[in-house]
Amino acid sequence: MRPLHALGILLSLVLVTLLVACANGGKGGLNLQSVDINQLVQNVKGLREVSEPEEIQIGDGVTETLLGARPLQDDVELQRYVNVVGLWVARQSERPNLPWHFAVNDSDYINAFATPGGNIVITKGMIRVLHNESELAGVIGHEVSHVVRKHHLNAIRKNSAFGLLMQGVQAGTGNRSQDVVNALAGPTKELYARGLDKSDEFEADRMGVVIAARAGYDPWGLPAALQTLAGVNPDDDYVKLLFKTHPAPSARLEKLAVALGTNFDSVTGGPQSNDQFLRITERVRAVAAK
Amino acid sequence: MKHEPWRWLAPALLLMSGAAAAETGYTLQLTDLKAKPFLDADTLTKLPEKTEVEIVLRQGPWMQVKTKSKQLGYVRMLQLRLGSTPTAKDSNGWVSVLGPGATSPRPSSTTVTMTGGVRGFSEEELKASKPNKAEYDKMKTFTATPEQAAAQAANSKLAARTLPYYGEDGKPLKDQGGKK
Repeated sequence: MRPLHALGILLSLVLVTLLVACANGGKGGLNLQSVDINQLVQNVKGLREVSEPEEIQIGDGVTETLLGARPLQDDVELQRYVNVVGLWVARQSERPNLPWHFAVNDSDYINAFATPGGNIVITKGMIRVLHNESELAGVIGHEVSHVVRKHHLNAIRKNSAFGLLMQGVQAGTGNRSQDVVNALAGPTKELYARGLDKSDEFEADRMGVVIAARAGYDPWGLPAALQTLAGVNPDDDYVKLLFKTHPAPSARLEKLAVALGTNFDSVTGGPQSNDQFLRITERVRAVAAK
Repeated sequence: MKHEPWRWLAPALLLMSGAAAAETGYTLQLTDLKAKPFLDADTLTKLPEKTEVEIVLRQGPWMQVKTKSKQLGYVRMLQLRLGSTPTAKDSNGWVSVLGPGATSPRPSSTTVTMTGGVRGFSEEELKASKPNKAEYDKMKTFTATPEQAAAQAANSKLAARTLPYYGEDGKPLKDQGGKK
């Protein structure tokens, strides 16, 4: 949040609180005695930085809503595989010690989601269009970058109900609070249907390439995945939400072409063999919805 | 395009070295066709904008392609778009959402037909979501340890390395890059 914006909200809160106090005082004068200082402090706290435990709690609530829209793909080997690959990639980021969790959901639509605190959900449909583990690592790198830069957390903080939400988060930190999960459902749906700022997506592309390359993967995995998406009919239902919430893949590729240039021409990589990726993802690629 | 079951019968795409053979693409602009995947390699010819090519394989930032006149060479990957040229696009000109593995890359695979509905993740389905604690708890049972991640990486010959981030202009960033 920009400082001026935050200051504006703070002043508004103080003003509203004082007005309420005046009204309650009833005698026409300003009655500071009746200003609910505790409430004011709570509201102001909504504007402060969110601690890491609080961020993790928010992310867990967001994840419950994402998994409520579509459950996990029923494939233990695949789930363990994306967790191993995902954690290896995430460990190369600036937030290696978050409690990273990765999941493939049972959706044929192509998409991937990051939540605050380090939960990443990738659709089965996304897995299906990837050619190899470097492309998977690139997609994961993009999502990890959102978490590293706190893109979703900062977007949720702009929600008008955030101050109230944080009171619940504070009360619930350390214990799972169903109230917080429920309170997050609305903002989660709104944010994940609307998407982040385009600049956040472009930044996550630039960083995702680097994080995957740091993990030893071919840096061109993410661009290759985007290139596949750029060829998908944008009117297709399978990509509608992805394309609504992200800049067009062709625009992302154009930005990446400038940012990457020839910087990575001498950076090779990738797993020695693609057999494991092909074997583990074969079930979701070959088996259609039952 | 809606969910037509026939789309699950998309032609097989063979997987070779990380790129699907029989995929087509086209040039975004006048593009050098290089003899080898290096910037200073000989230029075999210049491909005009919207030249359709067959993609043979991807090698880092390069795509090995075959032109309609059967000439093989390399072009920069980001100078290509997949599928047919925009003007030629019809229902077959797009990349299949079923992807390279719509049918297995292995020759022994059988064609799969879709016998049920598509599982979507549309805006409507997102908005109708109710938080699902059971699935969240299940997700956590698959968590990897750093040791497992490192062991798997070592097994795949993936070595961690230090690389900086780059800005929009392609220049390395100092503030958040350089170190892990």
